[in-house]
Amino acid sequence: MYEEPYRWVEAVGNRRQYLDAQFAQGSPVVGVACEQGILLMTMSKGTPKLYEIYDRLAFGGMGHPADLEKLRFTLLEMAHVEGFNRSASDVTGSRLVKYGIAPVVKQAFEEVFKAPFIVKIMLAELSQKVGKDGFLTITYDGVFEEKSRYAVLAASASVEQQMMEYLRPQSCVSLKDAVDLAIHTWAVGDRAQRHTDETGGDPKDARGSSDQPVTDSPTLMTHVRQCMQEKSIECALLDRHVPGTSKYRTLGAGELETLLPKDLSSALT
Amino acid sequence: MQGDFYQLLKDQGYVLGMPGQAGVGQTLTTATTILAFKYRHGVLVAGDRRATAGNMVMYDRTDKVLEIDRHSVMAIAGVPATAYEMVRILEHSFKYYRRTQLQELSFEGKLRALSKLLKENVPAALAGTGAVVPIFAGYDAEQEAAKIYFYDILGAEFEGAEYAVSGSGSPTIRGILHYVNTWGEQPLSAMSEEQAAVQALRLLTCAAEFDSATGGVNREAGLYPVVKLITSDGVTAMSDPHLRSLFESNVSKGL
Repeated sequence: MYEEPYRWVEAVGNRRQYLDAQFAQGSPVVGVACEQGILLMTMSKGTPKLYEIYDRLAFGGMGHPADLEKLRFTLLEMAHVEGFNRSASDVTGSRLVKYGIAPVVKQAFEEVFKAPFIVKIMLAELSQKVGKDGFLTITYDGVFEEKSRYAVLAASASVEQQMMEYLRPQSCVSLKDAVDLAIHTWAVGDRAQRHTDETGGDPKDARGSSDQPVTDSPTLMTHVRQCMQEKSIECALLDRHVPGTSKYRTLGAGELETLLPKDLSSALT
Repeated sequence: MQGDFYQLLKDQGYVLGMPGQAGVGQTLTTATTILAFKYRHGVLVAGDRRATAGNMVMYDRTDKVLEIDRHSVMAIAGVPATAYEMVRILEHSFKYYRRTQLQELSFEGKLRALSKLLKENVPAALAGTGAVVPIFAGYDAEQEAAKIYFYDILGAEFEGAEYAVSGSGSPTIRGILHYVNTWGEQPLSAMSEEQAAVQALRLLTCAAEFDSATGGVNREAGLYPVVKLITSDGVTAMSDPHLRSLFESNVSKGL
């Protein structure tokens, strides 16, 4: 029945709707570059969403855990085989995404008789030079984008846009700035997502009646504090100052306590 | 089993050591005196820097004490081509395991990984084209102790309770280590970091005295052995200026 082109286009369209709905409950992911490196932040329930891929590559994901695991393994295999056969500097996020997972994800999306990957992925890449750090994001249909300074993953494109608008004018130097900014941005995204969900998924309604997302700090922090009752803050850092070749590390509870805005660090314990 | 990087390589057609016959009159590059012993805070691993092919000195700046990860070091004696390849495989194996399984490979798992590589390399080792006789030292986080292991070319693994040596210059210093450890002013395990480093410099100077394939200290060229320390904090390398001052104040006065 899909041999007719119209039916195929319709099927892909349905699939897009189905997939969009899958992310509505997901937790956004924020990536912010600062002087010390790149910070990835999300809030998760149990299963971590941030991972190490290679010496200077970190992974953040939204979507189905099994699909994320599958693509994470694909990335890990490619990165390590390439790093061994060639060198660590030949393992770049852009090669892994463009020639590695993007074609696989796109193919799965368009083969309407098979299951698609329910994923949105962010790869953060720490450069040798400050200011050259970058991000790659890829969505379930295989579309990828390159970003610098910061990147976000959220349930819909309009929520992502709101988060990016919030991020754009902010400056971020220290790690503390980065943690602060990431958490605020996460809250902007998560609030917008919930709002969209309540208004029946029409992205035009996402901004609410005022047409502007709420961005004042106290409201955002209250939202995060509420979320902390069932989820926990997950932060990972590609740390320029870590000795050795592997730059990835997670921020433990002790370190987070010193970095979080005051009213949140008390909620940690 | 997931998390096995070496298996992944083999699935893609990778072969570690090609067995072959060493050609007549063909001399292979080999590398030479390495030693490891326990001191007060952990393990010291040191190696000279010469690589030779028969009577020829190929290179005088070889690093034979290689960091595999933050907490383990492999010192190599034998054919460097094979040894460096093994180090690369191990380095990637440990990283791959950690990143896929989300936990560090156990210390025993690391030892086993090296044994397996040596075993696979037996045909090349027996043919004379790829014998490697390494020392593996590292910090075992579970048991909270730094440990030393040495191997034969077939992959048998032995724990060096106090010290281990390998390479062509090793017979010279093995006896000295036994003597110093048994009848010296203090056993090796009681030495401070600096005392241990001085001991290592003296031992390598001895090895160079009697073994032409071991490079000693070359002060004119500013060449000092590689000395690395493994403690609970990880691996650190002693800097050349530090080694120079220790050498000048404690080793060279007898020469």
